[in-house]
Amino acid sequence: MKKIIAVLVGATALWAFSLSSELTPEEIIKKVDENMVSENRVTQSSMTIKGKRKNRVLTSKSWTIGSNQSFTEYLSPAREKGTKMLKLKEELWIYSPASDRTMRISGHMMRQSVMGSDLSYEDMMEDRELLEMYTAKLLGQEEIDGRKVFSLELNAKVDDVAYPKRKSWIDAERFVPLKEELFAKSGKLLKRVTMSNVKEVQGRWYPTKMIYKDMLKDGEGTMMEIISIQFNQEIPDYIFTKAALKK
Amino acid sequence: MLALKLAFKNLMAAGLRSWLNAIVLAFAYLLIIFFNGLMDGWNAQGKKQSIGWEFGQGQVWHPEYDPYDPFSLEDAHDLFPEVSASVPVLVRQASIYPSGRMQSVLLKGIPANQNLLELPTHNLVASNTGAIPVIIGERMASNSKLKVGDQLLMRWRDKNGTFDAQDIEIVSIFSTDVQSIDLGHVWIDLERLQGLTGYTNQATYLVSSTELEEGETGGWPHHTLGALLKPLDDLIATKKISSSIMYIILLGLALLAIFDTQVLSIFKRQKEIGTYVALGMTRWEVVRLFTFEGGAISILGAIMAAVIGTPLFYYLAKSGLQLPAASTENSGITIGDVMYPVFGLGLVLGTVVIIVLTSTLVSFWPAKRISKLDPTQALKGKIQ
Amino acid sequence: MIKFLIKGVIRDSTRSKFPIAIVAIGVFFTIFLSAFIGGVLQDAVEVNARFTTGHVKVSTLAFAENSTQAPLDLALLGMDSIKSGLQNEYPKMMWVPRVSFGGLLDVPDENGETKGQGPCTGMAADLLNTENGELERMNINKTIVEGRAPEKRGEALVSEKFAQKMKLKPGDVVTYFGSTMYGSMCFQNFTICGTISFGQQMLDKGGLIIDISDAQQMLDMEDGSTELLGYFEGGQYLDDEAMKIAQEFNARSTDSTDEFSSVMIPLKKQNQLEGLLNTSESMSEIMVGIFVLAMSIVLWNVGLLGGLRRYKEFGVRLALGEAKGKIYRSLLVEATVIGVVGSVFGVILGLAAAIPLQIYGMDVSEMVPSSNMMMPSVYRAAVTPSTVFMGFIPGIIAMVLGQALAGYGIYKRDTARLFKELEV
Repeated sequence: MKKIIAVLVGATALWAFSLSSELTPEEIIKKVDENMVSENRVTQSSMTIKGKRKNRVLTSKSWTIGSNQSFTEYLSPAREKGTKMLKLKEELWIYSPASDRTMRISGHMMRQSVMGSDLSYEDMMEDRELLEMYTAKLLGQEEIDGRKVFSLELNAKVDDVAYPKRKSWIDAERFVPLKEELFAKSGKLLKRVTMSNVKEVQGRWYPTKMIYKDMLKDGEGTMMEIISIQFNQEIPDYIFTKAALKK
Repeated sequence: MLALKLAFKNLMAAGLRSWLNAIVLAFAYLLIIFFNGLMDGWNAQGKKQSIGWEFGQGQVWHPEYDPYDPFSLEDAHDLFPEVSASVPVLVRQASIYPSGRMQSVLLKGIPANQNLLELPTHNLVASNTGAIPVIIGERMASNSKLKVGDQLLMRWRDKNGTFDAQDIEIVSIFSTDVQSIDLGHVWIDLERLQGLTGYTNQATYLVSSTELEEGETGGWPHHTLGALLKPLDDLIATKKISSSIMYIILLGLALLAIFDTQVLSIFKRQKEIGTYVALGMTRWEVVRLFTFEGGAISILGAIMAAVIGTPLFYYLAKSGLQLPAASTENSGITIGDVMYPVFGLGLVLGTVVIIVLTSTLVSFWPAKRISKLDPTQALKGKIQ
Repeated sequence: MIKFLIKGVIRDSTRSKFPIAIVAIGVFFTIFLSAFIGGVLQDAVEVNARFTTGHVKVSTLAFAENSTQAPLDLALLGMDSIKSGLQNEYPKMMWVPRVSFGGLLDVPDENGETKGQGPCTGMAADLLNTENGELERMNINKTIVEGRAPEKRGEALVSEKFAQKMKLKPGDVVTYFGSTMYGSMCFQNFTICGTISFGQQMLDKGGLIIDISDAQQMLDMEDGSTELLGYFEGGQYLDDEAMKIAQEFNARSTDSTDEFSSVMIPLKKQNQLEGLLNTSESMSEIMVGIFVLAMSIVLWNVGLLGGLRRYKEFGVRLALGEAKGKIYRSLLVEATVIGVVGSVFGVILGLAAAIPLQIYGMDVSEMVPSSNMMMPSVYRAAVTPSTVFMGFIPGIIAMVLGQALAGYGIYKRDTARLFKELEV
């Protein structure tokens, strides 16, 4: 018995040593970026927003190029079906089929919550390389749901980020985040995101279930599930035009 | 002159009834003056409070600033122009989270060392907990169930639009009649807000301590005190109408009493009238005498009102009238808990003139019957 | 005896016409004035009642606690059944749902794209049902600058200033953009049916008034409203009644562990109106007291006048051997008769003037410099049972008192001097 424990302890220590000696924090987030960031992606997802009175499920399909161009169409429920959003840099255009109107929404709306969820439009669109935005520091290794993770602290090196500080728990094998804590400049925890159901898509690992919790608000958070995701597709240019909204 | 003297003598001789009439008129005087004084006091006080807490002697606004459009706040800030003797205020939107619910507030940065406005901004430096010190008004505190010493979370955005959040501590709760700087407002030190948002040396509007001239506003639009106070003026004008209807009726009642007394005295004193005429007064002179008598009641009333009213009004103007709080909650109109009526000379004199004139008029009306009396019959005391 | 006296009163017009007229006028003044003062002093309370508090207000417990923020997500659902329950139980009250909301008002160009935008403060009420008096309660028709009130779904009133700024006129379309009660985005086109001047800066900036059914659909608030307001018949706030109804309702419906259970709050307990209401009550009592006093003096004069006119008559009656006490008593009975008749006339006149004033109000908007404010420039009287009672006090008591004092002179008359006085 003692032997077994000794072996286990030794093995764990060795494993930990081997991992930390192999990768710098920058390398870790670079590997995460390789999984998470793509030139473009087409996503179909559902969002479950838990409310005190009822839970709502919204499904939508999005075409995204980087973090500056995005087009989303809501598929259900009936109330939201056909609502389309186009984001071009700081401009947000929304088309509503019920009113047959295309409306421009001012830039600061971008950080508001999407459809009453715990996600902001920015959370939804985020597709910038972590490496480009943050410097990383390795805090240690932990275990989440039986998977070994690196815990990292990320501090922004550029001005225009939504969260100047993050803590990320990165799957040590697949290099996808399993948990993230997003902080304000002052150090206040704003959001907690937990990811699971990591699947392999086009050779990348990608978490397909994410739970966002706005830490400032009461409530149970919002669950986002990816029904399908495709990376680096041929997306025709016209999708990112106002004309496409009305189509 | 003789008529006037005689009129007073007769009046005194009539005793109690004259006094009662005078009392009614005195009430009319007192009520009219009181209500008008209350309105004027409200107006004066509202203005004073608004000037003291909010407007200063006028303001200079960023061209984009519109206090009724929260969306305008997004861009309504800039390096502010040099305006002498003014206090800069930077306005940002923020959210606070009292007991887990999000509540939007206007976050206003004002120099902690200012003493132009009555806001207790000197409290804004004191906090030993590390939380950001802020002050709020009483109404805001009661609506959001906050008290001094409470800490809660506030979230705002910096110049890049990035959310930031930190605990604030209520270091002081001020009590003001000016709702528009209380409800939904959180006041913070200007430099701190500039630091938190990154809008260094910027402001949204400037409050001036002097009346500014054209060209002294450094290019930003000037909002004069008169323009800022207009909504208050309009409201008072509306209220004045309701009180004037009330005192028209009151005056009507008092005049009815005089009219009634005149009818009575003319009826009762026919013999006397006959005697006057017999002694060589023309009938119109007798009419004048009786008219003066009626009018004199109003003068007597005025004297009586002065006796009662001077100490009473002095006291009221001094100690104020306790009014229940927050009658026009949310209307943005300044109304105090304690109203200090203002009794101006114009108001008092005007009221006296109106009452004396009208009571003389109603005294004349029954008195002119005398001119038709047959003096011989009158002398006999015959009822006609 | 009384019959005889009444005959006398009727036949001798100097004994009836003038005193009765004076009593009637005095009572009329007193009633009208006390009703008017009551109305004016309730003014501030009224504004609150009409727009925000109702005479009683039903909302969810959580909404009541956060009412200053008017949170849509805490709206009252299942409103219709609550409403019909209340309507059955208190058939004399009017129950009307209201929703207040806020978002953006967007004006399209010819391609349906945003031409201009502004913040919007919205109010929804049951406007299409004309029986509930909402148009009048909110003073809508009077404050319309151009066009008319909504007559069908999809129509909206917008603030005159917004319309001017955006160059809108009735018939144009605007889109409301905001959040549903669950936080989803909502868009709704409205055809402008009229423009309105609110007289309140925030609302003039971007006020929107729509029908409740549009709001419910738009805000995903089916069968819901943020508030359900109850109004007493006649538009008068009755405190005891309101307290009682609220107590009954809350005992049944409020569950302190369920923040979405409904709670009824009487006007007095909202917006710190209690103090105001109490002050206005005592103010109106003081005012009316002064008027009653003044009126009593007037009527006393009338009594004296009556007594004096009949100086000779009493002399004759005394000379004929009638007892002084009897004459005096007959005088008091006459005074009572005159007092009652005059008071009845006065009350009728007073009510005839005050009741229309209560129902229709007096529009003084033309006298106000910044006219057509939504905040009432219409004054109303407040007729209560005590108003009528107020009128009778000076009417009868003062008359009788006046006669009693005037008649006192009878006792002072010396029979021996009577004939000298009566010498013709």
